[in-house]
Amino acid sequence: MKQLQYLFMTLAVMLLATPAFAQGVNHDVANQWLPIGAGLGMALAAGLCGLGQGKATASATEALARNPGARPGIFIFLILGLAFIESLALFTFVIIFLKVTPIQ
Amino acid sequence: MATQLLFTRVLNEHLAAPVTALLQAFHVHPANPQTPITNAFAMELLVFLLLVAYFALVRSTLSVEKPGAAQHLAEMTHGFVSEQTESIIGHGYERFSSYLTALLLFILVSNLMGLVPGLESPTADVVVPLGFALVTFLYYHYHGVRSNGVSYYKQFVGPVWWLSWLLLPIEIISHFARVLSLTVRLFANMFAGDLVTMAFFSLVPIGIPLIFLGLHLGVAVVQAYVFFLLAAIYLSLAVAHDH
Repeated sequence: MKQLQYLFMTLAVMLLATPAFAQGVNHDVANQWLPIGAGLGMALAAGLCGLGQGKATASATEALARNPGARPGIFIFLILGLAFIESLALFTFVIIFLKVTPIQ
Repeated sequence: MATQLLFTRVLNEHLAAPVTALLQAFHVHPANPQTPITNAFAMELLVFLLLVAYFALVRSTLSVEKPGAAQHLAEMTHGFVSEQTESIIGHGYERFSSYLTALLLFILVSNLMGLVPGLESPTADVVVPLGFALVTFLYYHYHGVRSNGVSYYKQFVGPVWWLSWLLLPIEIISHFARVLSLTVRLFANMFAGDLVTMAFFSLVPIGIPLIFLGLHLGVAVVQAYVFFLLAAIYLSLAVAHDH
């Protein structure tokens, strides 16, 4: 408990001290949040895409276990669903790539 | 300027002047007049030549008594495409199997090309998947009009006339979104696969990137299949008779 308290205190101090890290950085102020925004955006997209694909695959395997005869139909719909879910994460990737690349 | 692959350099050495002249005639001004041929175009040309050579080989060694290896491969491809398109489009699928086979093989070979050292995937350049998507878009609309006539346009306005003002823009946007999603899916998968391999190569230059090359191999095959499947589904929606 005590250690957790120390941990949270340290974290709070670090949270307050963010201006100290920004010293001496002469980047454009508008772009300073871009890398972390890109990272968080891609992480959110990848994580939620993983959740969605996991649900889809779980249902497909369950359906296949209940009725192995329906393999071809299930396979087509599984691949289609995965492709559509995946394309959402890929849209995020493309947008991030377009926004991040010109700055470097 | 981007680095040129060997095949691109050979093409540019011999064909730069006529290609630039041709582009100038159409009022297109290439960024580098000395090297107007891009890597993606050179790789597409290579895929085209490979496939033409393969089809010519299959055609010339066709035999009923002693089928060769190439013929077995072609029969397997034909069987796969026919089975898939029959389960999606149903009656009258034979008309589309030539286009769909060409699409599948072209995308598959293009995707797998990125795994060969000295070559790169043309599909990792955004204009190439856009080309496939636009051709597919025109193709399924053409076949929709051909098989349904004027009533093909009725599917854009929805089932009831008093909602058509709402449904018409939605339908038009969704048809154009198909082009966007087909393009971005193929392009981003190929591009991200290359990028991931490069990123891990810069971290650990030995062994580890091989895992991601293996992953990229799977992604390349699955994406070719997905593009083919979606083209078949759009075709089936366009040519379906709903009466």
